Amino acid sequence: MTDWAVQVMDVSKKFRLYHERNQSLKSAILRGKTSRHEDFWALQNVSFDVIEGKTHGLIGSNGSGKSTLLKCLAKIYWPTSGEIQYRGRMASLLEVGSGFHLELSGRENIYLNGSILGMSKKEIDGKFDEIVDFSGVEKFLDQPVKNYSSGMYVRLGFSIAINVNPDILVVDEVLSVGDEEFQRKSFDKFRDLKKAGKTIILVTHAMAVVKDLCDTATWLNKGSVVEVGGAARVVDAYLDSVEN
Amino acid sequence: MSYLGEIWGSRELLQNLTNREVRGKYRRTALGQLWSLANPIAAIVIYTFIFSFIFRLPAQVGDPSGLNNYALWLVCGLLPWLFFNRVLALGTDSLVSNAGLIQKVYFPRIVLPLSLTNATFFTWALEMGVLVLALSLLGAFVLPWIPLVVVFMVVFAVFSVGLGMIFSIINVYFRDLAYLLTIVLQFWFYLTPILYPIELVVTQSEQLGLLLGTPLTLLDVYSLNPVQGFIEIFRNLLYDNRMPELATVVVALGWAIVAFVAGAWMYAKKEKQLAELL
Repeated sequence: MTDWAVQVMDVSKKFRLYHERNQSLKSAILRGKTSRHEDFWALQNVSFDVIEGKTHGLIGSNGSGKSTLLKCLAKIYWPTSGEIQYRGRMASLLEVGSGFHLELSGRENIYLNGSILGMSKKEIDGKFDEIVDFSGVEKFLDQPVKNYSSGMYVRLGFSIAINVNPDILVVDEVLSVGDEEFQRKSFDKFRDLKKAGKTIILVTHAMAVVKDLCDTATWLNKGSVVEVGGAARVVDAYLDSVEN
Repeated sequence: MSYLGEIWGSRELLQNLTNREVRGKYRRTALGQLWSLANPIAAIVIYTFIFSFIFRLPAQVGDPSGLNNYALWLVCGLLPWLFFNRVLALGTDSLVSNAGLIQKVYFPRIVLPLSLTNATFFTWALEMGVLVLALSLLGAFVLPWIPLVVVFMVVFAVFSVGLGMIFSIINVYFRDLAYLLTIVLQFWFYLTPILYPIELVVTQSEQLGLLLGTPLTLLDVYSLNPVQGFIEIFRNLLYDNRMPELATVVVALGWAIVAFVAGAWMYAKKEKQLAELL
């Protein structure tokens, strides 16, 4: 039996769709305690394993539950039922540069953002040059990040996140940041991480990327798993269903 | 227990977020951190003019310090209140205003109100430093009391952040709270003996007797206010230069523990749902 790094076991996630939500005191008093809502299952009985050192893609149309699943994997949402287990340290990259303080310099934000992502000061010290190098913003390191161009902003955010150095990396569609050159650098970085034996789970709509980077994939539709298996096979099945 | 471990594990994050608040706040201002002293100074000037000069409140003589200065007496109570006010107002908003971060990154959410309290505490400590200087220059022998003042500052901060934590969670459900709070804090300020001595309330209470057929006096109602005890402690230490009464200290400690435990319990219970509730 091969070793899993992430095990998703029978995970379901229910959201409440509120028709009349009592989010203010007035409505609570006027209508009494009850608020009307309807249950919506964003994920239903999703199970799959991701093998250690492999890259796993999550694919599916809009509204299929990919992002909800990713947020569950990133510990931002908690499954209504079922369980997700990890072997090793997990880090997530759902949005670059969240938590940047605009008035602070790039240097200060590297430390701030790094610690939000779970790095210790020592780790950041050790990785500092690499982060700066990769982002290509060294000339502007002591400028407040509000003066950065949007490209510089996301590049710096991405460079910090990619250097967190977890065992398991959960990534949302962030590969599309930056210009052509930076994207190529990012892809190379992912390949390096793969070579270093890291487990990666990523969500993307770019099927070419899935075929290129991923070993295995899960196809979700309306919150349920349609197919799990080798990336090329799952992608082809998905593309077939879309065309028909 | 594991929850406490997780908080301990994120102490570096707590420190970095605190730095973010402190350093980010007065960026690009000429006076920088000095601005944090501007508000208290303005308040002192106004209140001293109104209450000491116009209304002619009875003189407050420090026992045994011998100080007789309304402005200083006022500040000893006003600075703790301003800290409490800021922690509560900012704390209540701390989850809603950081919604973007909460929905994108996993970290113990409790560091948000805690870091903000740390940053506010830093400002408060600066203000208290200036106050100690002023007290010493005007003849109070306040230096030996400083360690105790620091201890009670920490206790008061624990109480304040506990309350702030409770309010921040409620505010996620009822966004009205943030607005309601500004009104509540106004009432709270004037109903706490900060601008006027508690002796005036004692006199009034004796004249009124029992309230509306209940066995309670006005003073009993006043003593339900947890902030009052803290204000008394700070005035005893700083202005009078004597030990506060044991009963007052015990009640204050009790309030701090209850508020903080209740706040931490609410975070342990609700934290996992916050991302979807926001």
